[in-house]
Amino acid sequence: MRLNSLLSTSARWGRAALAFGGTVLLTGCDLNFWRMDGHQSTIVVDGPVAVSQRELFYVTCWVTLVIFLIVGSVLAYATLKFRARSTDEENAVPPEQGHGNPMIELSLIGASVLALVIIAIPTLKGIWYTHDVPEADKANAYEVNAVGQQWWFRFEYPNEQIKDVGQLVTSNELVIPAGRPVHINLRSLDVIHGFWIPKLAGKVDMIPNRGNFLWVQADQPGYFWGQCAQYCGDSHAVMRFRVIALGPKEFNDWLNRQMEPARSVKAQPDLPKVQLASYRTEFKRNEKGWSDKFELSPLDSWRAQQEPDPKHEDVALILKGRATFQAKTCVNCHTIRGNEGMGVTAPNLTHVGSRTTIAAGLLENNPEQLARWLRHPDEVKPGNKMYHGIGGMAGYMKKDDNGREVPNIVLTESDISALVAYLSSLK
Amino acid sequence: MDATVKSHFTTKEEHAPAKPLIFWRPTAKTGLISWLTTVDHKKIGFMYGLFALFFLLIGGCEALLIRLQLMVPNNTLLTAQQYNTMFTMHGTTMIFLAVMPLGAAFFNIIMPLQIGARDVAFPRLNAFSLWTFVAGAIILNVGWFLPDGAPDAGWVGYAPLTSKAFNPTHATDFWVLGLQLLGVASIAAALNFIVTIINLRAPGMTMMRLPVFTWMTLVTSFLIVLSFPAITIALVEVMMDRQFGTNFFEVSNGGMPILWQHLFWIFGHPEVYILILPAMGIISEILPTFSRKPLFGYPIIVFSGAAIGFLGFTVWSHHMFTTGMGTVATAAFSLATMAIAVPTGVKIFNWIGTLWGGHLKMRTPMMFALGFIWMFMIGGFSGVMHAAAPADAQQHDSYFVIAHFHYVLIGGSIFALLAGIQYWFPLVVGRVVSDFWGKLSFWVIFVGFNITFFPMHFLGLNGMPRRTFTYDANMGWNTANYIATIGALILGTGIGIYFTVMIYTFFKGQKASRDEWDGRTLEWSLPNPPPEYNFRVIPTVHARDAFWYEKYHQEEIARENAEHAKEDEAHGGIHMPFSSIYPLVASCGALIGGFGAVYHNLILALVGGSILLAGIYLWSMEGAEGYHLHLDADGNPVEDTHAKH
Repeated sequence: MRLNSLLSTSARWGRAALAFGGTVLLTGCDLNFWRMDGHQSTIVVDGPVAVSQRELFYVTCWVTLVIFLIVGSVLAYATLKFRARSTDEENAVPPEQGHGNPMIELSLIGASVLALVIIAIPTLKGIWYTHDVPEADKANAYEVNAVGQQWWFRFEYPNEQIKDVGQLVTSNELVIPAGRPVHINLRSLDVIHGFWIPKLAGKVDMIPNRGNFLWVQADQPGYFWGQCAQYCGDSHAVMRFRVIALGPKEFNDWLNRQMEPARSVKAQPDLPKVQLASYRTEFKRNEKGWSDKFELSPLDSWRAQQEPDPKHEDVALILKGRATFQAKTCVNCHTIRGNEGMGVTAPNLTHVGSRTTIAAGLLENNPEQLARWLRHPDEVKPGNKMYHGIGGMAGYMKKDDNGREVPNIVLTESDISALVAYLSSLK
Repeated sequence: MDATVKSHFTTKEEHAPAKPLIFWRPTAKTGLISWLTTVDHKKIGFMYGLFALFFLLIGGCEALLIRLQLMVPNNTLLTAQQYNTMFTMHGTTMIFLAVMPLGAAFFNIIMPLQIGARDVAFPRLNAFSLWTFVAGAIILNVGWFLPDGAPDAGWVGYAPLTSKAFNPTHATDFWVLGLQLLGVASIAAALNFIVTIINLRAPGMTMMRLPVFTWMTLVTSFLIVLSFPAITIALVEVMMDRQFGTNFFEVSNGGMPILWQHLFWIFGHPEVYILILPAMGIISEILPTFSRKPLFGYPIIVFSGAAIGFLGFTVWSHHMFTTGMGTVATAAFSLATMAIAVPTGVKIFNWIGTLWGGHLKMRTPMMFALGFIWMFMIGGFSGVMHAAAPADAQQHDSYFVIAHFHYVLIGGSIFALLAGIQYWFPLVVGRVVSDFWGKLSFWVIFVGFNITFFPMHFLGLNGMPRRTFTYDANMGWNTANYIATIGALILGTGIGIYFTVMIYTFFKGQKASRDEWDGRTLEWSLPNPPPEYNFRVIPTVHARDAFWYEKYHQEEIARENAEHAKEDEAHGGIHMPFSSIYPLVASCGALIGGFGAVYHNLILALVGGSILLAGIYLWSMEGAEGYHLHLDADGNPVEDTHAKH
């Protein structure tokens, strides 16, 4: 009898657990979220800045946890011990009407102050340490500028001057040397953005008219996720970027390739036409824009993206894409240094083919996603300037005399495949 | 009661001079007109409460939509723009239209009763505060029904996102003007409460005998009076930038967006204490009552409350640790923020001290009060973590912050307000909420709340930024978001149970006995619901827990009351004010003028402004007239005469 009831109880619990587990599995979740080891973890981190911030967090955690346990036990004890258990107890003669005890108060205030001092000392140390590159390392620090705009990031390399052009400019993927402090100047051209690479350092805001900066150091080569942290309008949630840290040699190789003008494909009439693989053309709004293969080893995926692949290119299509890029006025906003375009209001696309992501870290850089982006930029990134226009310049849409939006740039499917081929060739 | 209600126009007194019709004073005690023109602090407070609870439900629905959107990655329930509107309005609604007015409801209803007063110092100004609050709420929310949409620049409205260039529609104008009117309402109400507490205390009610809730009303009111001017100035600057092309925040002409943040948070941080201090006051009333013991360390609790209010003005930049303030400023605000943890912690120690050695009556208000202490502790500790500025650089604008301030604002403020509603329900409505259903709603709310917000700590530490309408499935955020949404649905169910039970109780609940909880403060000496004049005889206060003292010194009090009743009679009886239409008229002017300013329509703005000024002018000209009541020892009216002032 007793066993029976025990069995039925455990069966009930088992079913409940199964139901819960089933719900969790259905949504494709795992229950390891408490490990906090995601791409933007502030716990599983890399580099001295993020480590010092995490260690300080641990100090605050331990101090408050100890206080919580002490105060919580007293509170729980008092609640259970002094609880009236019956109506009689409730209506009994009232307890002693005591008004307090100054000595208890004073000692508790003293203890609180002491606990806060334990937190305050590492806090002060941390404030100075995380503020700027340590004096001793200043000479070794590498300098870059990061500029936020709705809703993408431009990265400038003031140390790398290209003859007759100026500093090296890339967008949305910041490549830095590993093992060296990097001093990043933060600027904004429109509203306030927040520059945050959780695994490398806490965020600092990019504020118009304000010269902010932060420093980071990646101890090892790696591929890091970053995201705008300050609400900046419609597409704030999809204003993302990547940071790639490379060893000294690889970093220099990358710099040298980037300093080159854009790759220019020459017409070779006898080359056979490459059959392009067919890919999906319909996407749901907000649908994910990356493949699981990319996830396995993002840094290797990045490396694989660097070299051109002349064997699998349709030169005619690329050349058509280059012409389309000009004809459809893309050049007004985008620069492809060496080929055409002088625009600075939109991301520099000189070596866009060598990046792992497009649309500010949102979509994986492959023909399928590139076509999706070119086809419906407004769905991928609500409110974006390529679609709606920027600063009086029209985009896919323009304003008519009544202030209504009417189509301006119309891309056919053949335009899109040509543009995809061209942009992908820009390694 | 009804026999006392007669217009002075019907008086037989020959010397009553005829007044022009423009100074007509409504005399109805029931019906729509009586509610629209009332100057009774209890009726005004009741309406504050109703509006606040309505907006609490609206804000809750917005929160549920937010949680449903984030339930799974890459969800398409809401568009980016809808989501951004949702979180902007959720924050603005909960702070300005739900928690603040709910606090004001308690200030209005309870505070005059606790100090032994017959009304607030300026009853018509009180009505003006209420209706101006309603006008502000209308302007804030009207965008939902218009093509421009509701505001979507975030509840903090960081410049230059609020400028014409980045937010060209009127949505932001609604936000600016709505908040401006709410500020007027709050400042007028706060001044009223300050004057009331300082001037209308019953004899013997010294400052150090004030109930803690009244003390917190006073501190909160000072915070409102001192902090709202900062946001008023900031909002005027945004309005000037948007409407007249000035350059306060216009970067291309040298404007400084960072200025907005300083002005906003000089208001914004005290605002946090405007939301939590009334809650602490309510808790400091409930714990002694249900422990049947005086508050432990009353002077320290009062002093801590004042210290929190004072320090609250020195920590605003801890909301700005990531704005590049430099080392010294960051360090200063970091240390100041830690300092504020001391008076806050002291309060918690004293609440536990109050429980110690008591006879704890585990009724629903007590459950919410104990839940408050636990949740507020967790929220307070994550607050200390934010004070460590370098750690905050990782937590700022992440879900960790969302978890923190919901523990403080739901686990803190809302729990205390829900406790307060159940605690004073028997007094104000005369009915008592069923203990079973009350406790059930508490447990569902408590469990749902923790399931919703505890996982957000993990989300934040795992790098999920706030105010994002979507996220990718590969970031390790899926499970915690899913759980949080389930929790939000449970929390919503709990709130649903709470309100259903409350509405049922209002109409059909069990009748409360007089002094239902064996109370300690003066409001419990009144019959329920309290008569319009509150106290038949203004009480004389002999001790801190005035009513508790009365219960144990009944003969002395009866003798005193009889003497005072005679004195009152010698002065002509109980003076009651007339209702007035002009507070409502003035607020309507503010509403019309607000729309004029939103649409940059000079005529409309002038019309509205004129109505506002005319309303205020006529209200000051109509005079503080009223009538006198004469009551016998049982509180029944014996006769009534009418006087002119």
